[in-house]
Amino acid sequence: MRNIAIIGSGPSGCFTAQGILKLRPDWQVDVYDKLPVPYGLVRYGVAADHQGTKNIVRQFERVFTRQGARFFGNVTLGQDVTLDQLRDAYDGVVLAAGLAGDRSLNFDTADGVIGAGALTRALYDHPDAPDLPDIGGDVVILGNGNVAVDILRLLAKGETEFNGSDLSPRATQWLTSRDIASLTIIGRSAAQSAKFDPVMIRELGKLEDVSIRVDDPLSGDEKGLEALRSIDGLNTGSRRITFSFGRQPKGIETQDGKITGLSVETEQGSETISCDALITAIGFCSDASVDRDALIESAEAIDDGHLAAGLYAAGWFRRGPRGTIAENRTDSLALAARIVQDIEQNLDCEKMGQDVLGLSTANMVTYQGWQRINEHETTQAMAARCRTKIHTRAEMLHQASTIKEVN
Amino acid sequence: MDVTILYGTETGNAEMLCEDIQAALEDAGHDVLMENLSDVNPTDLDIARVYLVVCSTYGDGELPASAKPFAEAMKDAPDLNGLRFGVFGLGDREYETFNLGSKQIEEMLIGAGATLITERVTHDASGSDMAEDVALPWAETVLATVEAE
Repeated sequence: MRNIAIIGSGPSGCFTAQGILKLRPDWQVDVYDKLPVPYGLVRYGVAADHQGTKNIVRQFERVFTRQGARFFGNVTLGQDVTLDQLRDAYDGVVLAAGLAGDRSLNFDTADGVIGAGALTRALYDHPDAPDLPDIGGDVVILGNGNVAVDILRLLAKGETEFNGSDLSPRATQWLTSRDIASLTIIGRSAAQSAKFDPVMIRELGKLEDVSIRVDDPLSGDEKGLEALRSIDGLNTGSRRITFSFGRQPKGIETQDGKITGLSVETEQGSETISCDALITAIGFCSDASVDRDALIESAEAIDDGHLAAGLYAAGWFRRGPRGTIAENRTDSLALAARIVQDIEQNLDCEKMGQDVLGLSTANMVTYQGWQRINEHETTQAMAARCRTKIHTRAEMLHQASTIKEVN
Repeated sequence: MDVTILYGTETGNAEMLCEDIQAALEDAGHDVLMENLSDVNPTDLDIARVYLVVCSTYGDGELPASAKPFAEAMKDAPDLNGLRFGVFGLGDREYETFNLGSKQIEEMLIGAGATLITERVTHDASGSDMAEDVALPWAETVLATVEAE
């Protein structure tokens, strides 16, 4: 029997646990998360109206209920336990903490400039998220990845278009009461190089109250272009959406500390796109809870996820903010095979696992605690919602330890 | 009955569903093998077995990664006359490419002479049914249909 610790219970962490336990069902795999609740990006990054994508959680539930992995939520690395302590206690430690920080622009910021990650975490009830910002008027979304398209779609939807989602009453109210004059999505590259999945663009064709214009010439057979052509000219209602490509951001214009425009450079020269809010969706970076840069720099074989003896990295934490859940699954399963191989070659005495850490169990949330939270969130869901999330740590901890009376 | 479940998956959901189908069919006394399509060559298929093919859809209506090598090999036009199979598709009706992956697999196998047993059944990830609640009756129907022949 060997002991493995995985830091982060998002898709990469859970797939790594799944892979290890498929190969070695008798090993003990402990999955830690700084939040009291599991699943990371699936819960707080996958859009509230993409419940089908969240179905992947059913696999992860089995990792804990059938494959024997343990969940320990509300444990912060560097605060409740150090990386060195974990490495002393476990035969293998996997960092799968993701990348939660918003990559920022290289110029000054101002009121009205909002990072996509901060915004979506606020919309999806992340307990550490800031309040939802006050935005309206002409809104520019900078970025051409799937996150940018998620934000565009959410801002363009009306109330009934969120039926079946897990969007909270607060976020629904915020999204549907914005006084938005226009939504412009700006890409730095040309349309044919945009990173979003074509299927995400086609999905916009179902929006019920929008008029969409793509302001670039669109010849070419790329699937992305085909998808853009399929929505260009769509006119189902009043919310104006414009796609604009090939615009390099150069700086922002402000008045009284508030953004008034985004300066961009195009092949034809410079221009300023006036706006009242700028949402940047240009990638993610480490939120500095672990010194990721140093670990990656000194890694033994970063492409394989091998950082140092008994220490590994998975998912976005290893590869950077690229790749879908499916691609990261492939990575995680390959990493799992490598970990099993490495650890079995290491004939040193087996390490003792979690017991030697002396962690305080008082505030740790186990999988059973999560099941209580989950039960509460799904049974107390508001009308037309599949779930209404608890959005504070205190309430999560309360529900995790509340044992329901069975009549 | 000798049954082989083949799965094409990208996120692992189809694989998990096949584990459930395998367990249920084994409980019912069948001899069941399960294989990833990525490990299967069309010429290896055995007409003495019944094939249950479970396949998702990925990207813009494409086959999932694990089904792609199989689809490539199907271009060599293997003769699958006499092969009996059923198809179950996993998809998400949020997207207009709903279940195009399982449809492609079905068309390829029929094109090579194989016989589809009962109509293809699909599951919608955005719907309220659990995949196994739709897939288990499908698998039973396919096998019962073969048995009745």
